[in-house]
Amino acid sequence: MPDHPTASWQAMQDGNVFYRRQQLYSVSGKFPDFADYIMAGCRYGGPIAVMRDTTKLVALGRATPAFGKSQIQVYSPAGEGLLMISWDQGKIIRVGWTADESLVVINEEGTYRVYDLQGDYQQYSLGSDAAEMGVIDARIHEDGLVALTGSLTFLEVKGWKGTRPLTLANPGLPEPPHSWAIIPPDLNISRHVEVLLSSEGTIFSVDNLESVDQRLSQGPFTHISPAPNGKTLALLTFSETLLVISTDFQRQITEFDTRTVSAEGQIQQVEWCGNDAILVTWSSVAVLVGPFADTLEYFYSGSLFAVTEPDGVRVMGPDVCDLIQKVPASVLAIFRPGSTAPAAILYDAWQSFTERSPKADESIRNIRPDLAIAVDQCIDAAGQEWEPYWQRSLLNAAKFGRGFLDFYNPTDFINMGQTLKVLNAVRYYEIGIPLTYAQYIYTLPSYIITRLTSRNMHLLALRISNFLGMKPDHVLKHWASAKILRTKPSAVAGSDGELGGDEEVCKLIVDNFKKLGGADVSYAEIAKRAWEVGRTGLATKLLDHESNASDQVPLLLTMKEDRLALEKAVDSGDTDLVYHVLLHLHQQLTLGSFFRLIEDGGSRLAPASKLLQVYAREQNRDMLRDFYYSDDRRVESAVLALDECSRMTDPNSKTTSVKAAQKFFSEDKDRGFEAKMMDEYARLLTFQQQLEKEGDGKISFFGLSINETIRTCLLNGMSKRADKTKADFKVPDKRFWYLKMATLIEIRDFEGLDAFSKSKRSPIGYEPFVHCLIENGHPKEAVPYVARCDSPKRADLYAECNEWRLAAKECKERGDKAKLEALRKKCPDSLMQREIDQIASSMK
Amino acid sequence: MASRDPASSEGTDAPLDTNLLKEIARKALVDSLNSVNGAKTLVLDPSLAGPLGLVTEVALLKHHGVDKMFWLEAGPLTSTTSNIIYLCRPLIKHVKFIAEQIKRHAKDAAKHTYTLLLVPRASTLVTRILEEEGVLGDVSISSYNLQFIPIEEDVVSLEYESVFKDIWVDGDETAIYDSAQALITLQKLYGLFPRVIGKGDKAARLTALLTSSLAQARTSSAPDTLFQSSDKIDALIVLDRRVDMITPLLTQLTYEGLIDELISIKNSHVELPTSLVSPPTAETTGLAAATPSTSSGTLRKENKKKYHLSSSDTLFGELRDLNFSAVGRRLNKVARRLEDDYKASRQAKTIPQLRDVVGKLGGLQSEHQALRLHTGLSELLVPMTRTDHFNKSLEIQQDLLASYNVSEQISAIEDLIAQGAEIELVTRLLCLASITGGGIKAKTLDNIKREILQTYGYHNLPMLLSLASPPLAILLPNPLPASASATTLPKYPYTSLRKSLRLLIDDNPEALDEVENDISFVYSGYAPISIRLVQCVAQRGGVLSNPADRDKAVRQGDNSTIPEGKVQAHAINGWKGFEDVIATIPGETVDVIQQGVGRSSASPPLGRPMENTITTVVFFLGGCTYTEIAALRWVGRQNRGRKFLIATTGIVSASSIIDGIAGIRKTGGSSSKDAGI
Repeated sequence: MPDHPTASWQAMQDGNVFYRRQQLYSVSGKFPDFADYIMAGCRYGGPIAVMRDTTKLVALGRATPAFGKSQIQVYSPAGEGLLMISWDQGKIIRVGWTADESLVVINEEGTYRVYDLQGDYQQYSLGSDAAEMGVIDARIHEDGLVALTGSLTFLEVKGWKGTRPLTLANPGLPEPPHSWAIIPPDLNISRHVEVLLSSEGTIFSVDNLESVDQRLSQGPFTHISPAPNGKTLALLTFSETLLVISTDFQRQITEFDTRTVSAEGQIQQVEWCGNDAILVTWSSVAVLVGPFADTLEYFYSGSLFAVTEPDGVRVMGPDVCDLIQKVPASVLAIFRPGSTAPAAILYDAWQSFTERSPKADESIRNIRPDLAIAVDQCIDAAGQEWEPYWQRSLLNAAKFGRGFLDFYNPTDFINMGQTLKVLNAVRYYEIGIPLTYAQYIYTLPSYIITRLTSRNMHLLALRISNFLGMKPDHVLKHWASAKILRTKPSAVAGSDGELGGDEEVCKLIVDNFKKLGGADVSYAEIAKRAWEVGRTGLATKLLDHESNASDQVPLLLTMKEDRLALEKAVDSGDTDLVYHVLLHLHQQLTLGSFFRLIEDGGSRLAPASKLLQVYAREQNRDMLRDFYYSDDRRVESAVLALDECSRMTDPNSKTTSVKAAQKFFSEDKDRGFEAKMMDEYARLLTFQQQLEKEGDGKISFFGLSINETIRTCLLNGMSKRADKTKADFKVPDKRFWYLKMATLIEIRDFEGLDAFSKSKRSPIGYEPFVHCLIENGHPKEAVPYVARCDSPKRADLYAECNEWRLAAKECKERGDKAKLEALRKKCPDSLMQREIDQIASSMK
Repeated sequence: MASRDPASSEGTDAPLDTNLLKEIARKALVDSLNSVNGAKTLVLDPSLAGPLGLVTEVALLKHHGVDKMFWLEAGPLTSTTSNIIYLCRPLIKHVKFIAEQIKRHAKDAAKHTYTLLLVPRASTLVTRILEEEGVLGDVSISSYNLQFIPIEEDVVSLEYESVFKDIWVDGDETAIYDSAQALITLQKLYGLFPRVIGKGDKAARLTALLTSSLAQARTSSAPDTLFQSSDKIDALIVLDRRVDMITPLLTQLTYEGLIDELISIKNSHVELPTSLVSPPTAETTGLAAATPSTSSGTLRKENKKKYHLSSSDTLFGELRDLNFSAVGRRLNKVARRLEDDYKASRQAKTIPQLRDVVGKLGGLQSEHQALRLHTGLSELLVPMTRTDHFNKSLEIQQDLLASYNVSEQISAIEDLIAQGAEIELVTRLLCLASITGGGIKAKTLDNIKREILQTYGYHNLPMLLSLASPPLAILLPNPLPASASATTLPKYPYTSLRKSLRLLIDDNPEALDEVENDISFVYSGYAPISIRLVQCVAQRGGVLSNPADRDKAVRQGDNSTIPEGKVQAHAINGWKGFEDVIATIPGETVDVIQQGVGRSSASPPLGRPMENTITTVVFFLGGCTYTEIAALRWVGRQNRGRKFLIATTGIVSASSIIDGIAGIRKTGGSSSKDAGI
């Protein structure tokens, strides 16, 4: 039987609060001596990265792993080596971990790499400015980093996709801060990262808008450490006094003088234990400072390293890896000596029951009203316990209590059982992920799967995901990628063997996916992986299984399958994807082969060709011209020429463009009409230039339409020229008459109008004359034209000219009584009405 | 007709809660704005101002840190804040403006942080151009996914401006892709469309995209709705604009349609003289009405103000779908009622009566104001409908629709050219003649084209070519030249459709005024083909005979049993019964059944009797007209148990289509540098 849970407890604060030191793993000799190294730990039971501290001397010949100056070792909390990275870049200034357990390493040139646990990395840079100034320090949080540059400004990077760094407000520091820390965006009210830095006696808080002096006086501080929830801040002054204040700097919570602790040397770390206690470490002592400055001391046999967890603190020493945390309420209620909580009594009852003692029944009866709560507490306590033995007994106690309840929903019980199975599996030292129940709930089960796959533990990941009823996609995808990496065809096998290998691997992957239900896995991603490791054949084979076109295209492009990429892009209907391919190909290929690719595509690639034209029309006209030319598209070439013509102002080049268009049209036998029109256009332009010369350049003709040309001629008294335009361009009589009539009326040349109307029989009749005159407010002048209209319409037309008498007379002549009556009704004034009446009566 | 009143019959069971879409759009915008910390300057694409105005208001933007707003246009930008957000559609033109401004700032050593929000999504093209201009490193690009905007309770629109031209002239199918994405979003909200029915090549393309995007959308953690057939929607009907080119070319004759034709409505806003829109200060009503000048020239000079046309204006809700000829009477009726109400209020004596009156007064006043506005507006319209050109064009349209003396109509069009009518008018009539008559005699056509070029300028040649070129092909010679005939679509079978779909209704005009017997009321005697096609799917009886007539007969026969008088809508069954007719129309026919998969319980059988009101979504790819909306609303009123949700890429009219093809962009009121929504 393992030790009773209380064996690891220690009381604080007059015995009301207990902290426990749970030994997770025994790691004797597995870690290097932390005193000589720089460490970075990953939260949620993650690995630690260890790097030689070059500022410290190392005794030669000590039995340490012989790693050179620029190597980074990654260990699991159980002390298993996970990864070794050799660093070939500039001096490393900081290492840290992302939310998904990737190791971030940033160097003094502002270059940073994000490594996964297999040692594959992405490299990004903070930009040339940062490289110039140099980076002197950095803080890495789960979703980004903040770098302090040589010119003492801060650069923030959000996420790990290599986004452009943002400059934070400049605090105007005279010298590098004594210490600094960041509060990650998701813990801030503003949802933007906040930098806290100690300068002189005070602390500045800096975000991307402003830098605020928080007006403290106890500084400067050697350590600034925000709590995991970002609400409180632990500060350590040069005089080694620990201050705990709220992050809004309004409240001081605790003050504690660390010199009261009998420890040697300097303070190494100030880390939070959950959100309510602080662990201060020296080289072999760790002191836990509670909220009321009570302390607990923990001794280790050598130097140690602490990693803050949301519900405790993980401490790694030379021999052990411990978790120090506040004893959870449910556990406390059950195991606290002398506890009379219902859960404690239930547990007691169950023990009595196993000992076949009748006390069991009595105990149960005692807590009958609170039995449900007791059961829940037992279940929860099971989750908080580390040893399977105690987990089991607590669950058994819960099960026992449940039997006495009439209605009980067993979901919690079952879930806890499942969860504990998973947790115990991953806590096993070979896996080495000491995740607590609270952390597990907080990080979601899918996180565990990701962490296992990133350690290449696919079988366990798959089993867990099946056990928890999750989709196996992620695991399968990762497995396939890993598989491809591992099964590199051996160089000896020759080409045949290689092909066979591709076939085999592809089949293996596809079969496994089908068998394990990974229908939604993106084959494109896996194919990309294959391509990256140089297995083109395998990549092509895998791509065939991909159903989503937009995923296939980028890979096809990198594989130089241009034609196929373009076809797939067109099929996807996503125009942006088509542009992506087109622009890429335009850069990669010579213009000739680029055009040929599109033209050869025929109707299949027609949409791509259209899109290219849309793009080129706006951005690259020369290319468009070449494209039309190379494809013998005469009409389009002509239209393009015309379009350019419309943008030009210079008469000569305009005429040239029109002539070019004419030539293009004339080369297409179906475009005779258009060619003729362009010919006319060119003639018109020349003629207009001539007209402008005649008008001494005062009248502008150039670019007008034929109608406007005629009109302008008439407006400027060049009626001969107007006639010539009509004759030269074969303007039909009708149109000419309308135009001339309207123009003459516009300039009130009524004599000219009269002469014009009499020049020959009007091809448009005379009604338009009347209407047009009336519309332009000349009813008087319209009257004479009424007489020349058809007789049935005259009466109405006269009426429109306000000539009621004439209208009435007209009716009389025609003997149209009904019309007369209508006129009388419409007539506006009574005088006229009477007159009409008279005429009407005279008709009888 | 009792059911005519929209408030009583539709108020209770609105088709679907489209406001959800508005909320989504608004939240996305707020999130995008908040992603940039601190005060910011917003530079807005003018073409987005209208759509955005339907989603949000300036106050909301200010609330989220927008300090100043500018239009995105050429020229320098001076900003006081360090953050600049550009919000625009991914057009090359826009990106060039932006690059220009950034470069200028760099030269002036002005430090700004640039964020580019692209609507509806980021694009490689933009990245590429920014790269070519050398400013990519300075800009962080993200997207603002603005999709369907509810412009009315039963209408959602993408509010794209040039979809028609993009698809059928340029061959740029971006809009189809975006439409598919927007329809996926609809399905995410309301469940799968159990059946997708469509007509037209591009409609088929959209349907294909819809199915393939659905498969993609499903893989990632998609909501359950994407796996289950919707219980609120029974079908999606997709019509591409090419299927019915006739309808948008005709002059719309409903109140709203006519406003669009004559004054033009943009993003549901119409520009009206200020005196009409703002509340009365003096007797401006009288004055405005007293000057019904024939040309609108004088009106143009008056200050304009934007007015939002929507059914929140109850009176407009009543008027919008009426044939214009009936508007006067309705206004009169409302005026009478209002007068009575006022009178009644004056007679109030006792205190409780007075209290009642005071309570009603506000309502009366706003009603009064609405009445004044719409009376003024119709007075604006009336003179425009009296011009020669307007009437001549109506006459030509009616005759062309009846295929009456086609050659005479064409010479009438020639006369219009000679008289210098607007080129849009001429072009739309010409296209109409070409479509209804299966082309225009080659020689005549060449002649007319020559006339057009001489009258309006030779630069119109590209437009004429676009109208004739294959994907569009709405202005064709007859017979076709040998080389072209192979590639073009088969001719549009207008004359046979006229018979089989009962397009022309011989209503006598008086009867038309009384009751709207058929969707043809929107064009005074012509039933829009597009809506007839919808009827083929969703109201089969309506294609063959007037449901209203039959309904009357039923009522006379047996008055007691059917108090509602409406027939239960039949279940959607594809094109059943009209396969032959549909086959004659050029373009692919689509009929797809979308099955729920996996986790869904058994999908409801398609032919089940419909107890609850169900919605049919009608999507117009390439835009629809106000008349089509009106007609569809009418169809929706005829049956019990089915509502329509109209979805479109935008609202179009003949002039917007033709201007689009000609490449004319009418920019509205962007003269001031300060932007407003």
